Amino acid sequence: MQGLFDRAFIEPFHRLAEQLKQVLPGVMTVVVILVAGSILAYLVRQTTYGLLRMVHFDKLAARTGWSDVVERTRIFRSASDFGARVAQGTVWLLIVLFALSAIGSPLTEDLVVRFFRFVPDLLTAILVLLLGSVVSKFLARSTLLAAVNAQWGGARLLSGGVRILVMSLAVVIALEQIRIGRTALLASFAILFAGIVLAVAISFGLAGRDLAREWLERRIRTKEPQDEEVFRHL
Amino acid sequence: MDNLLPSELLARLKETGEVDIVAGIPSYNNARTIGHVVRAVAAGLGKYFPGRKALIVNSDGGSKDGTHEAVLNAEVDHNALLQVSHPISPIRRITTAYTGIPGKGSAFRTIFAVAKHLQAKACLVVDSDLRSIAPQWVELLVRPVLDREFDFIAPYYLRHKYDGTITNSIIYPMTRAMLGQRVRQPIGGDFGISGKLAARYLEKDVWETDVARFGVDIWMTLTAIAEGFRVGQSYLGAKLHDAKDPGADLTSMFRQVVGSLFGLMETYEDTWQKIAGSEAVPMFGFPFEVGLEPIAVNVERMKQAFAQGTQDLREIYAEFLSPGTLDAVAACGHSVESEPFHLPDLLWVHTVYEFAAAYHRRTIARDHLLQSLVPLYLGRTASFVLEVQESTALQVEERIEKLCEVFEKEKGHLTALWQTGAGKEKSHAGTL
Repeated sequence: MQGLFDRAFIEPFHRLAEQLKQVLPGVMTVVVILVAGSILAYLVRQTTYGLLRMVHFDKLAARTGWSDVVERTRIFRSASDFGARVAQGTVWLLIVLFALSAIGSPLTEDLVVRFFRFVPDLLTAILVLLLGSVVSKFLARSTLLAAVNAQWGGARLLSGGVRILVMSLAVVIALEQIRIGRTALLASFAILFAGIVLAVAISFGLAGRDLAREWLERRIRTKEPQDEEVFRHL
Repeated sequence: MDNLLPSELLARLKETGEVDIVAGIPSYNNARTIGHVVRAVAAGLGKYFPGRKALIVNSDGGSKDGTHEAVLNAEVDHNALLQVSHPISPIRRITTAYTGIPGKGSAFRTIFAVAKHLQAKACLVVDSDLRSIAPQWVELLVRPVLDREFDFIAPYYLRHKYDGTITNSIIYPMTRAMLGQRVRQPIGGDFGISGKLAARYLEKDVWETDVARFGVDIWMTLTAIAEGFRVGQSYLGAKLHDAKDPGADLTSMFRQVVGSLFGLMETYEDTWQKIAGSEAVPMFGFPFEVGLEPIAVNVERMKQAFAQGTQDLREIYAEFLSPGTLDAVAACGHSVESEPFHLPDLLWVHTVYEFAAAYHRRTIARDHLLQSLVPLYLGRTASFVLEVQESTALQVEERIEKLCEVFEKEKGHLTALWQTGAGKEKSHAGTL
């Protein structure tokens, strides 16, 4: 009876205790890493915020148009706040990965390896987005100024269109880089781009048909005798 | 510096030997007018400097319309000039293609290099599209250099009241307020220069910038004044010239000229910040009245450009204009339909100064900054045209003088913006 009791109740407890004894140090390590990491991430955030404020990062971001984007999210107080939180998030991510690898199981180790293989593509995608944002703003502004100085009525519309187009291209390239919805994205972009070209062609054709007619008429008429020459001396 | 000059040109210069005067004429497809300019310069050199050895250099940008032939075939009828003495040696002509960025500045660079190579004492440069140039222009621009030891002689023209609006609204008032010298036509295009100053120009590392294009005139004038060379001006009468190259649109010219001016403010910031007020520069020649060709201006189009600019570009202006200036410009933009439309002097002066400070601070891309000033300049021009449409030439000159005084009086505003680096942050509300 005693043997049955031991096998049914005591031995599982012993096995559990043994397993806990094996896992507990790892769990404790993870907890310590996470607690220390959260303090470190907080300190990194505060330091980064101070440094960004010191180098007038908000002004720089305002020039590139990032401030508007950041403030419109209503999540971040400013571009410096955004930068500080990105730094905090990055530290947090590294801490979590470090904690996972500290567990030492094949599953977590595989996860960490896969993540690090993904990092270069992710960084490239982020870089493409940043570059796209700066280039799209520059091109949109160039278009706006050229259109205003040429006194085109829809200058702002044209400028906005250029910005959306360039930014869309950047988003497609970035998503392609991290291999998200490749086919669907390319098809969507092709449809969007073709639509814009068609719309521009139609509007240009409609707006310019009188001009084209006048031009053609002038070209044809120059080959006919010009009666008005007779009255030029008047 | 000789590597600027092609070997064929160097060979021809060797044949010529040293000269006293080099007369340079930059050109690009000016076959229609350059013959007259060459004749006037040749006649002027022969008539007023018969004892001096001179060379005419046409520095060309690759003309395809026969400019080259027009230069070499231009004949001077010496009998018609009633000359009492004749040149000791014939005035030679050379036409050569310049190297570097296509533009007037690169053409000048080649002319200065020739002047230096031949150790010329004086150098004269005149535009190739001039229709009102006369032989006495040569004397008026060269004599003060050769006989009175001046280094830089700027032209003083009579121009129609609607002509030279960039000069009248920005370049002249800014030059005067900055460096304290009243050179009335800083970007006139026709100058007399000493050999020493021409050599100094060649030493500068600016020939790959807008100075190589339309910015060369303002650069030459400001460099001469800021570096302490002796500067004067000569009364030349009317300036009649061909319409500008249609390919060179207003925005592009404006950008090059005003960009060069703002750039020079950085180069000579230690000099101009110490200067207050202004003084007249010595004037040569005999002032006389002339009839001027009327210039047609489309005020409505300029007003519309201004109104559109103040609306569509407000977001850009908000990045560097002070709130007071920004609001006043916007209010002015809303008032274009009201009569009479007016953009006050003080507002214009603050606007230009705040643009100059923003250029210095690189608040936005410099090219964008200069382009965004164009609609405001058109608004100011429209306001000026409406104001002086009934005025005589003298009254217009008085009006420009008044604007210059505001530029001088408000120079402290520019200096403060320049030194503190505070533009947008510093409010000027209530000062307009």
